[in-house]
Amino acid sequence: MLLYDPDNATYEIDGTRTDLALEYRDQLRGPYSIELQRVLDKMRSTPMKGRFALVVVEPFRKFALARLSGERGVPPEVVDGVTYASIAEAEWDIFKRRWQELTGRELDVPDP
Amino acid sequence: MTSTTGLIGYCQPLKIHGDETTALKVSSNGPGTCSVSALRIVCGDIDPDGPGAEFEKMDWGGASGLHVRHQPVNAGSFAFAAAGPDTAGAGTLRISMNVWPTMTRGKRQCILHWGALRFELASDGRLQVRLGEMAATLERPLVKRRWFQAELDVAADGLSLVVAPVAPCAVWTDPSRTHAPRGATALPKAGDPIFFAAMLDRWQGDVPFVADAYNGKIEVPSIRVDGRLLAQWDFSREQSGTRAFDAGPDGCHLTLVNTPMRGAAGSNWNGSVESWMRDPSQYAAIHFHDDDMTDCGWKTTLQITPPVDAQSGFYIARMTAEDVQSDVPFFVSARPGKPKADVLLLAPTATYLSYANTHIKFDSHNTENLYEAPMVLSEDELYLNEHRELGLSQYDTHADESGVVYASERRPMLNTRPGLYTFNYLNDTHIVKWLEDQGISYDVATDEDLHRYGRALLDPYRVVMTASHPEYFSTEMWDALYGYQQDGGRHMYLGGNGFYWRIAWSDDHPGVIENRRGISGVRTWEGEPGEHHLSFTGEPGGLWRTHGRAPQVLAGTGFSSTLFVRSTYFRRSEDSRDPDLSFIFEGLNSDIIGDFGFRGGGAVGLEIDRWDADLGSPAGSVILATSEHVGLGGLLSGEEYITTTRALDGVQNGRVRCDMVFFATPKGGAVWSAGTIAWATSLLWNKGENSVSRVTRNVLTRFLDPTPFPEPVAGGYARSSGPQTCSRHESTATSD
Repeated sequence: MLLYDPDNATYEIDGTRTDLALEYRDQLRGPYSIELQRVLDKMRSTPMKGRFALVVVEPFRKFALARLSGERGVPPEVVDGVTYASIAEAEWDIFKRRWQELTGRELDVPDP
Repeated sequence: MTSTTGLIGYCQPLKIHGDETTALKVSSNGPGTCSVSALRIVCGDIDPDGPGAEFEKMDWGGASGLHVRHQPVNAGSFAFAAAGPDTAGAGTLRISMNVWPTMTRGKRQCILHWGALRFELASDGRLQVRLGEMAATLERPLVKRRWFQAELDVAADGLSLVVAPVAPCAVWTDPSRTHAPRGATALPKAGDPIFFAAMLDRWQGDVPFVADAYNGKIEVPSIRVDGRLLAQWDFSREQSGTRAFDAGPDGCHLTLVNTPMRGAAGSNWNGSVESWMRDPSQYAAIHFHDDDMTDCGWKTTLQITPPVDAQSGFYIARMTAEDVQSDVPFFVSARPGKPKADVLLLAPTATYLSYANTHIKFDSHNTENLYEAPMVLSEDELYLNEHRELGLSQYDTHADESGVVYASERRPMLNTRPGLYTFNYLNDTHIVKWLEDQGISYDVATDEDLHRYGRALLDPYRVVMTASHPEYFSTEMWDALYGYQQDGGRHMYLGGNGFYWRIAWSDDHPGVIENRRGISGVRTWEGEPGEHHLSFTGEPGGLWRTHGRAPQVLAGTGFSSTLFVRSTYFRRSEDSRDPDLSFIFEGLNSDIIGDFGFRGGGAVGLEIDRWDADLGSPAGSVILATSEHVGLGGLLSGEEYITTTRALDGVQNGRVRCDMVFFATPKGGAVWSAGTIAWATSLLWNKGENSVSRVTRNVLTRFLDPTPFPEPVAGGYARSSGPQTCSRHESTATSD
């Protein structure tokens, strides 16, 4: 039996590397540089409890930001007042939020 | 917003032939009445930026003003006899068994319920025997995933319980004992029902509804009264069946409900055998789960009977009420031996079952990494998360973290219908629409038909198409398709990662498939040691590749990599210039094929396959085209490398690629394989005017032509010189 390790991502993101954030902003679906890929791997491996996700409010048109409970059967908690008109818009915003949480620095780059 | 879960339901059976009846079973979460229409799906993809959803309303199968109510689900697997063993006025009782608990915290779990007697695991993991008001509780909690031998006695002077680890462990070496006064409560009497792994909550007719279901294994339970053997259940027998055999004098066999896991390693399993067939005595355990569920058992709301000449295909029963629209899938299959067309499209219903109601977005740590995007949660998925009683998918783990091996169609399958789950089922309807747009007459049959009817199903067709992701194949399915190919059949494989897992169906378990994940392949859980054999058949489970039948044997190409972040395209190979192969590329004005599509922007994506002679790509098979620019998003599957390396992505590893393959088979037959799931979802790009559609049409046209292909041994085609990969894996941007 082999289970997932919730702490499997140990890479430290360098909060000064805003060049990587700009690379992501301009090419959300890649191809990514190896350094950006490591940043994304870390972000996508955050613990299930509190992990950002999107709840469909209106199919294809409106999505709400939410955090997973990390517990079976317990619904995600919607983040008050944060909705998006597209997945791409949401992906960029989630990237910025994770940057802040993982590096302690607000990501100060212009939005697309 | 219109709700998709205000009404939920399933059709039993999932597939029928024309003029057969399927029973629509509906449960309401609100409405008191609803209407139902039967629709044939032309394209089920409802994305406004997609190819365009298209449904055809039938003049049969509909009804309005149907009364609907909530129907409960009896989740959790258990074993029971409506009338337990007859104690016949005995004064003392001794019950013995071994237990291997897999959840020792958080809830009360009942291991045995018989009359006023209960043997339980308390919410703190301590074993407890109760008779009426009296209880004897062990002092220390059990250790998870360890075997314990338990012996409980009810005698004149009280209740006692003795528990010892089967193999001493660091924290527990000696037997533990507990004792309590007996009180006035009587022993179970004749006629009292007996339940293992759950507590009887209530009877609904003759159906027992249970509570406090147990997670873990039970082995060799036995009952003695006044020193005399009354019952001794031998779980090593009838492993494939639906009952637990009592070797005791009265033969009090138990009915198994919700398919607990058989073929489970017992307390004496020592690694000398890997199969319950080889030494059943090492497999005398059953593994129960509180979230096993293989039959909702709901009452029928509406009988749906298509006319005998109904077109075979993908259908839904669309249920509507105020603010509710919810679809239930069913299939009308072509009758074996009575083709109405030259082309047969196989709907991969085993794949649909395996994925049905997946919870990996909520439960599985690596899902976001695998899909390389934040999880988007639909109403259906949020509902499934909160309603685990609808059963899990074979991608899930149970609440006790063991893998799910059985998946059933007898329940609502909320991701197998038009909606927001864009994998498998929806993608396959792109193929349906493409066939219709091309004006090609076709029949549809399901995996279950292929399993059941074999060659009799396939042989009448000039061309058999497998869909976007025919991942789950039983031996019978494999043999039939291979036999068809080898006997002059023409097979088009319009997908990726096909023919990968070896599964089983069972007449004893209608509508259920079994899959063991084993210890290889891209898998969301790993099987337990010694438990990789299918309980339905005794065959080894896991990857077909490990049984000498890699997908390359059937398709010329087999699973290599996942590619979810961004799809890419094919470039024609030099080998494809063979004049005998020119029919495939007629009308194309570029060597680049599929640099567009509805999933990730390309025809090479999601899951992709590669040619490999060592794994069985036939002599004479030709790589027609190979992917370019797979990039970092392409990740090699675990079975594709031996020693570990950092070079596992599409930039560094030449196996992270997709090969489109063609080969001729004996007696004039042939196989053409796309080798990528995103092929199917590129067919309809630009209203079908594109290179993916063109290649598919070219192959189909030639495959429909009865003119035999040259025998492979006659040298009609050069053996492929292999992929020319090195220069094609730059990580730079593609031409699209």
